[in-house]
This record gives sequence, structure tokens and C-alpha cells, in this order.
Amino acid sequence: MRHWIFAPVVLATALCSAPALAEKVNIGVVLPLSGANAQFGISSRNGIELALADMKSQGKLGDLDVNLVYADVPAPNAAGAAVQRLISQNQVVGVVGSFVSSITLAASEVTERAGIPMITHSFADQITGRGYRYIFQVTPKATTFGQKQFEYALDVAAKAGQKVTKIAILYEDTAYGTSQAEGIRKAAQRAGVDVVVDDGYPLGITDVAPLINKLRRSDAQVVFPVSYFNDGLLIIRSMRQQRINLPVIGGAAGYIIPDFQKGLGEFAEDVYSIAPANYDAIPAIADRYREKYGFFMAHESIMYGAALQHLIAAIQQAKSTDPEKIRDAVAGLKKCDGFATGIPGGCTAFDASGLSATAYPIFVQWRGTELVSVYPESSAKAPARWSGKEVK
Amino acid sequence: MTALLQTLTDGLLIGGVYGVIAVGLSLVFGVLKIVNFAQAEFLMIGMYVAWFCWSYLGLDPIFGAFVALAAGFLIGAACQRLLVQHVIHAPPVAQIFLTVGLLAVLENGALMLFGSEFRSVQTPYQTAALEIGQLFISMPYLIAFVAAVTISLGLWLVLAHTWIGRAIRATSQNAQAARLFGIDTRVIYAIAFGLGTGLTAFGGGIILSYSAVSPTAGTQFVVLMFTVVVLGGLGSVLGALVGGLIVGVIQSLSTLVMPIQLQNLALFVVFITFLAFRPQGLLGKGAR
Repeated sequence: MRHWIFAPVVLATALCSAPALAEKVNIGVVLPLSGANAQFGISSRNGIELALADMKSQGKLGDLDVNLVYADVPAPNAAGAAVQRLISQNQVVGVVGSFVSSITLAASEVTERAGIPMITHSFADQITGRGYRYIFQVTPKATTFGQKQFEYALDVAAKAGQKVTKIAILYEDTAYGTSQAEGIRKAAQRAGVDVVVDDGYPLGITDVAPLINKLRRSDAQVVFPVSYFNDGLLIIRSMRQQRINLPVIGGAAGYIIPDFQKGLGEFAEDVYSIAPANYDAIPAIADRYREKYGFFMAHESIMYGAALQHLIAAIQQAKSTDPEKIRDAVAGLKKCDGFATGIPGGCTAFDASGLSATAYPIFVQWRGTELVSVYPESSAKAPARWSGKEVK
Repeated sequence: MTALLQTLTDGLLIGGVYGVIAVGLSLVFGVLKIVNFAQAEFLMIGMYVAWFCWSYLGLDPIFGAFVALAAGFLIGAACQRLLVQHVIHAPPVAQIFLTVGLLAVLENGALMLFGSEFRSVQTPYQTAALEIGQLFISMPYLIAFVAAVTISLGLWLVLAHTWIGRAIRATSQNAQAARLFGIDTRVIYAIAFGLGTGLTAFGGGIILSYSAVSPTAGTQFVVLMFTVVVLGGLGSVLGALVGGLIVGVIQSLSTLVMPIQLQNLALFVVFITFLAFRPQGLLGKGAR
């Protein structure tokens, strides 16, 4: 008579100890989803979500239940508190973010103290230059970008038959612009090229006329602007207004997003930029992105998608939710599939300082409403155009 | 020499725009004595109104600016009637708290309604410039300057020669006396405030042709607006225009000798020195 009382208890216990329950992990995503850099934050988020959806649909998640917890951080001063909340309230085991170098620097201070691994695509030199163990960067350093921005430009110019001896550098003066400008400057010095205009400007600038006037009065042959979106738009418009048709070699960020071309129309044509990645390397994923979101896949979507996939793979490899073990897995893993194939070099892998061990910058150029990879040859999908003529 | 002339021209053109943006504040702060920190948000509202006019009606921002003027007037008058009226005779501190709160509501309201991305317009004259010898005069700046000066002169005429203008001035001089003359001061306050915010919204519309709009677009101009108004003299509408021109020129000329990041440093050094000798500003009416 008393046997049937125990049946539900036994059943409940059996169910509770069933091993097939999914392992739930929270991953923090720290991005500027509002304010001046919202465009970049939103693109990054799109890439992250597509990357997660891909892993789910390809069955790569196994029994891992990944929950993304977003924190909108429009400026560095909000980063510390936001990341702290992610760590203490949401128990995130890893963080991905934050596009803007100065925000990443602030956020990674907190993740370092808390021992949570963070993967970023921001590339100010300082990010991996602090001797931290918990920050990883899927891109080369800003000074490398600056260096390649200069060297590739001179290579292409030389192929087109132009010897460049004088250049102009215009850069926004936060961590990103300053480091990359330094890279360009040093590379120019090494090559014996004269930097005749070398001007930083405040990020929220509303009137670039003084800079462009200076440019016009100088005899620079090539312009290297390093800008985010609004300032990039202002610079190109002012240049066109003053009939300055010098080759423009943009410094990534504002120069390689769909809105750049939408805002400038025909004036975006043939503008170069250095870039961490371009969507024409992964046409299948890029097409899915375009179908879902309606515009082409910006580089940050690729980079942050790859960062998330690397973090998830590391969590699976570590078979643990201990951030320390995950950090070690992130550091040791070399992942060359999925979104990582869209990064030049084809992989996400890190060296001892957290810097990417395999990635290199590429040159892209605007053709109509599309961005085309044009240099170096290993990544080129079309020949470059210099001053209106194709370069073989 | 060309460098000097070019920077001077650019400074004057952008100064005209600063002028029209500040002229609204001059009316609200100078004439009505209301410390309105939310003034710059009306700039942002004006920019959005003009952008939507361009996006859905194909209206050029300069014409959209007039729509922005109307919208700014209505919204401003409503804000005054419902909110600011309660602190008109309160200490400035209360006005500051209210208007800063209004600033936060307007800015975040815009963020919720319109999202955070930058929106810009594409007009045929955006990348056009007049070439006079070695001088380049940017077309959008020139058009903005002309619109700014015209509207400012229009405001001055209204204040000096119409009944409404006289009523506004009377109310600002002595509200009690104005009421004795049969002027409904509550209506006048609402109209004057609305006019002030409408003008700043107009300014927003005209700068849209070369600047992109986002919910935080106003914040770049807040301190600049107060600087222009105080420099030009509180209570003087033409003073705001002249103040704007001077601010534009100082900012522009400073870039000839120092990096562009120090533009505002140069401006404030000049401003503080000037105020030390003439606290009432250029065309101000002396201490009250």
C-alpha cells in the first residue's frame, strides 16, 4: 500500500539526475549600441548573432546553451560599471567587445581584475601592450595597420608609376586614431617620405574646413585620414568641395561601412582603406548576412562573429565554466573555420601577449556600393585602381 | 595671406550659423531671463524635423528649416506653458534643474524614437563651392549664413516694430507693468519661448545640409550657445549674431597658430579676458 507513495519521489529524483540537461553559459557582449559609434556596435552585434545562429544550425553547440548578455556602453566612462554588472549579476564566463578602442581599454581593466577572458577586435596598441593575460585581439595592432596603410599605398602607387614623396595624415585623437597615425608616421619616416600635414582633431568635430584648407595649401600627394563615421564623411565632403582629388587611403572604421557610401554617393568611388577583413573572402556567410540584414557585411561583423565562435569553441574545449580554464583554452586554440576564415590569414589564434598570431591587414577599395579587396595579392579579388587607372 | 583670408571667410560663415542658433537662446535667456539648458536639444529636434522633411517629402533642408521653425515653436511653447511657467519666478537654480531634466527627456526621447545612427542628407550643392580667386566658399555654409542672417534680421524687425515684439520686450522689462497695460504675460512668455526655441530649431535645419543628425547632436553646441549669447550681450538679438560671428572667427583664426583641438581653449581665453573688461558683453545693456 505504501509503495505507490514513493513512486513520484523516485521518479522526480531520477529526472533531476538525468544527464541530458544543457549546460548554460552567459557570455557578455559589451558594445556601443547608442551614441556616436552605435553603427559599429550594431554591426558587431549582427555578426555575433549570425555567428551564434550558424553554430546552432550547424549543430556545433552540442549541449551548450549560450546566452548572450548585452551591455550598451556608448563611452569609456560607462564601461567599468557595465562590465562589473555583467560579471557579478550575470556571471558571464567571457566577454566579447567593444569595437571602440578606448571603450575596450576601459572594459578590459575590469575583466583583467576579475579574471574573465575578453576577446576584442579593437586594435589600439595599448590593448595588448599592458602585459594583461585576459585580453585577446583577433586583429593586428594599430601601428601595424598604420604601417601597412602606408606601405600598401606606396606599393600600389609605385605599380601605377607614381613616386610618392609627400603625404598628409589626419587623425581623430582618441586611442585608435593616435596609435594608427603613429604607425603611418613611423613607416613614412623609415621610407624617407615627408609628412607635410600631420593633424589630430577632436572626435566630435563639426567643422573640418581648417584641416582641409591646410591640406589644400600643402603639396601632399596622398591623404591618410584615420576617422570614425561622421568625421570621415565631413573630411571627404570638404575635400571634394575644395576640388581636392588626391588618392585617399582611409584608416578603416568610418571608411568601410555601408553608410559611408550612402552618405557620399559617387564621391566614395575609389576611396581606399586599410581593413582588418572584407566580406568578399567569405561569400557564403556574407550572402546570408546580406539576406538577413539588407546591407553588406561590415568587417566588424566578421571579426566579432569570429571572436564569439572562438570563445564558444574554447569553452567547449575547456569542458568547464571556470573562466581561468576558458582563458587558457582561448589562448591555446587555433581555430580556422567558420567566421575565422573571413579574417586575412584564415584563423583566430593568439600569441603570448594576446595579439593575433596570424592576421594581417588588407587594402579594400570602393567600387559603386561594394567594397572590393585589392591588395595584397593573397587577398585581392580585383585589381586596384590608382588615380582612375587600373593597376596591374 | 590667402590662408588668412580663407580662415576669416570660413570663420564668418560658420559664425553666422552660430549666431542664428544662439539668437533663440538670446531671446529666451536674455529677454525672458530663463536659463534654458535644453535649448540645444531644440537644435536637434529642428535637425530631425528637417531630415524627415527631406527624407519623406524631398524638401531641401533650407526649406525644411522653416518647417523646423514651426515645429520648434509649437513644442517650445508647449514646454513653456506646461513646465517652465512654474519656475519663471523661481531662483535660477530651479530653472536649471528643470531645463536639464528637459534636456535629458528630449535627448533620450529622440534616442528611443529615432535610434542612435547618424542620418545625413544628400543635396546637389553639398560638395559645391564658389571659387573667388584663391578663395573657396563652401556652398552649404554660404546658404546657411544667408539664411541665418536673414532670419536674425527678421527677428530684430519683429521685436522692434511689431506689437508682439513690443509686448515681449515690455514683459521682460517689467511683467507687472505689462499686465497693467493689458498684456497677457502668460501667453507672451509662451510665444517668446516658442520663438526662441523655434529659431534654434531653424538653425538646426540649416546646418543639416553639412552636418549629420543624431540624438546627441545638440550637445556639441550647448556651451558654444551660451558663450555666444553672453559675448554678444544678454538681451540683444543683434548681439547674438555679432557674438556668433566673433566666436566663429576666433575659432577659425586660432587654427592658424594652434592645433584644431585647442580651438575652444583659444575661444574661452579670449572670452574670459573680454568679460573681465566688459561684463555686459558687446551690445549688452549694462548691469541690471
